[in-house]
Amino acid sequence: MTRPMELLSREPFRAEARAAWALARKELRMARRYPLQLVNEVLQPLYQFLIPSLLLGATFFVGGRALGLEEITGSDDLAGYLFLGILVGGLVGTAFWEMAFGLKREMDAGTLEPAWLTPTRPETLVLGRAISGLIVSMAASLVLLGIGVAVFGASVAGGVLISLPALVLAAFSMLGVGYLVASAVLIIREPNFFVDSTNFLFVIFSGVGFPVLVLPSFLQPIAFALPTTYAVDLLRVYALGTRPLLDPLLEWAALLAFASLIIVIGRRVFLRTEHRMRVRGTLGQH
Amino acid sequence: MIPSLLSDVRAFGAAARKEWRILRRYPAMFLGFLFWPIALPLSYVWQARGYAGDSQAAIDAFAARSGTTEIAGFLFLGWAAYMWISMILWGPGTALRTEQVRGSLEALFMTPVSRLVILFGPVVSQVIWALWMFAIVGVTIVIVFGVSITGPEVGRAFVVIMIGVPALYGLGALFASVVLRFGEVSALVQAVRGLFTVFCGMSFPIIVLPEWGRAIALSLPPTYLIGSLRRVLLIGSDLASIVPDLAILLALGLGLCGVAIVAFRRTERYARRGGSLASY
Repeated sequence: MTRPMELLSREPFRAEARAAWALARKELRMARRYPLQLVNEVLQPLYQFLIPSLLLGATFFVGGRALGLEEITGSDDLAGYLFLGILVGGLVGTAFWEMAFGLKREMDAGTLEPAWLTPTRPETLVLGRAISGLIVSMAASLVLLGIGVAVFGASVAGGVLISLPALVLAAFSMLGVGYLVASAVLIIREPNFFVDSTNFLFVIFSGVGFPVLVLPSFLQPIAFALPTTYAVDLLRVYALGTRPLLDPLLEWAALLAFASLIIVIGRRVFLRTEHRMRVRGTLGQH
Repeated sequence: MIPSLLSDVRAFGAAARKEWRILRRYPAMFLGFLFWPIALPLSYVWQARGYAGDSQAAIDAFAARSGTTEIAGFLFLGWAAYMWISMILWGPGTALRTEQVRGSLEALFMTPVSRLVILFGPVVSQVIWALWMFAIVGVTIVIVFGVSITGPEVGRAFVVIMIGVPALYGLGALFASVVLRFGEVSALVQAVRGLFTVFCGMSFPIIVLPEWGRAIALSLPPTYLIGSLRRVLLIGSDLASIVPDLAILLALGLGLCGVAIVAFRRTERYARRGGSLASY
């Protein structure tokens, strides 16, 4: 059997991938110990966002139809619109809360320094959290989508499958964003408000809950600078037949560019922050 | 004033000052108190714009169901009430839990002060934040969205808030009892907040709920609080016209306070007998 150190020196990529997967399995095992928390992954978006939003939408119904939404987006399927949005909302939440804020939890538990003393790279430790977070988030999103179709009459069937690559590209972009936010979490001593508010703004400006065209014109450039805006738009275009924000080809190109750029930038910023904290000896301070 | 009552009032002030001093140590929380009262309702205002589009029929449908054309005012008031309710639900229970974790709860219960001081003293500092939040919401809807609110309307809203206080603080005290009994309260708070968000009409008029949903809504105090606030501030109703709603809110509040007092005494006795006051 190959020893870990040997594997690390001979096949560093394979060793890091194994470490990331081991970390993800550890996180998933811990998540299984708190089944109520897992149930909450589904319930919380339902009662905190989806149901209030659906009922607000119902207040504007004319003859049982979302005429206003149809005018702006080309679809009156309010439930489909919102339940597809929450798929991307889950991705954003994973980057902010699992990848980034997870470091804070490690700091509080006093396990960050010991973990970073192992031969595994720090960015792999963050990646492991991202993998487990994505698995939980995707499972919760699928359950939510099922609820949307079965209970709220969302008609999203096959179109979601065609747009799956958009979700995958958005997930890569969010890995990069997660690294960027994780760098901030390492620096800020009390990052709760920072993570909570930036996660909220990211979701809002991505158009998870409403078409970004209703944002004031001076705020719309922010929406167009986020990869998730294109992911959620493409999901809706293919699944609901909504009017795209831009030419879909351009949106695919933007998603691809974001996916390749942000992950490089995010990783570099994270490594630099981590190095600076090692030099200053502030890794364990919080 | 009799000496024991005077001592309790002083202890109350001391508990409030202590919490205020702790709050000041975490300036990031101040940002939160500025950010959320604006950002959360604003996101729903944008969502409402997405739902209304340029369709006059959709806007008319909203006005017919909610009784007002002030969409921003409607949503800001609903979510301001939600944030206030959240603060109070978390308040007394979290304060006791924090004392438990710090290991100071037993010492606190050894003092001769009234249990009301222990329960609500730390929450007093949150009243300042509640007033701050309503002020921010008021300024935003008046300046940014051009909602007209007069002095007498503010006065009526203040009366509605005061009548709502027993119900909300009764709920907060009930949660505090749960903390003493079971130690952890966050899952329950989440569930109750979810119940309120789904049924009490923070972002919608309860008329859009199915009949069974309306029945649940009408049994929950926040429904009356939010509805009354909207009526006095957005529709210009006088207090006389909402007396039935206020009477129900007050009755629910007094009932909840009564239940909370009994529950708190029982759980305290249970915790003292079992020696579980400091265990968590």
